[in-house]
Amino acid sequence: MSSFTRSAQQWATFARSWFVIDARMQPPGKIATMCSVRLQGKHKPIYHALSDCGDHVVVINTKHIAFSGNKWEQKVYSSHTGYPGGFKQVTAAQLHQKDPKAIVKLAVYGMLPKNLHRRTMMQRLHIFADDELPEDIRANLTEELAQPRKIPRKLSEYTQEEIDAFPRLWTPYKNYRFENPQQMFRQQYHL
Amino acid sequence: MAARSVLKSVCTSLAGLKLGASGSNVSALQRINVPQLSALTIQSRGIRQVVEKQEGKTTTVEGRSVEVPAGPQPPNPTAKCPIYRWNLQHKYNYTDVLLLSQFIRSDGGMLPRKITGLCAEEHRKIAVCVQMAHRAGLLPDHRPKLPEGHVPKKAKPQLNRVNQAIWLHLLECHHSVHPGSQ
Repeated sequence: MSSFTRSAQQWATFARSWFVIDARMQPPGKIATMCSVRLQGKHKPIYHALSDCGDHVVVINTKHIAFSGNKWEQKVYSSHTGYPGGFKQVTAAQLHQKDPKAIVKLAVYGMLPKNLHRRTMMQRLHIFADDELPEDIRANLTEELAQPRKIPRKLSEYTQEEIDAFPRLWTPYKNYRFENPQQMFRQQYHL
Repeated sequence: MAARSVLKSVCTSLAGLKLGASGSNVSALQRINVPQLSALTIQSRGIRQVVEKQEGKTTTVEGRSVEVPAGPQPPNPTAKCPIYRWNLQHKYNYTDVLLLSQFIRSDGGMLPRKITGLCAEEHRKIAVCVQMAHRAGLLPDHRPKLPEGHVPKKAKPQLNRVNQAIWLHLLECHHSVHPGSQ
């Protein structure tokens, strides 16, 4: 900004910021792309691969992550212990059960460039399974990033006025038997 | 199209770290004053209001069917299917839970087509959307009733699922005649 002093402009350009992303009901791949972009520093116009311009990213609520399709049962994470017969394969559901942070961590690890900088960038990534943060990290946070996916509203999250304001599309014939009176009441009253 | 604007405004999300005020602007539809009922019968022959009259020594207790106030008129009242009556043919998705919940039972199943009056394709589309909504966890109160005394053996891990929005008009087979145009 032209109104900044030189030192303020220097600080604003080169300081390392701390971003926070809420992963509740989000696909982990989309969270991981946002993380990897900011860990490398590719969101900055001063980016250069050698200039160590990456920022810190804090991901919270990773235990509420949401996969699309049947990936919880079909996506397989493989590893080998190095010993014969040590090939292990676990589904995403099993891995999430064992460690709720692992899916996001592996996703980001796979999206970073495969060089020696990757380990330092992973050290700057902080993942938390729920939304409790330690005080020192909370004090460092500068910006919250928008969630990549809009969470649809559940039926229980609508207020009664909104439900009543929505018109009834069909009315049952006169002596139709509903199972419970509340449903019958709503249908009868064209609300 | 009032219903469409209601649908659009109703589909706002609750994204963000702090769930602030949802800011949903449900507008454009008139509120109808519902008369307070003194007794709501469990029997299903329509809603009746209990009226007591005392004439000298005789007391008459009568159940009068309540006159249903006219709701908002659909934009296309001559069509047979409720979706075509309200011109919502290609405008709903699995996230429009207020629309879908009008066609389901309390245990989550679909109501029969002969009762709701839906045409075949719309019934199928709504069934697909209801299935997607169940999978995404948008209908938490419409679960199948478990027999009494049933204790689940192991607590199943709660896994969140995401549905990708599908374009329903790409799924339906090509047909030239719309029921609403007849």
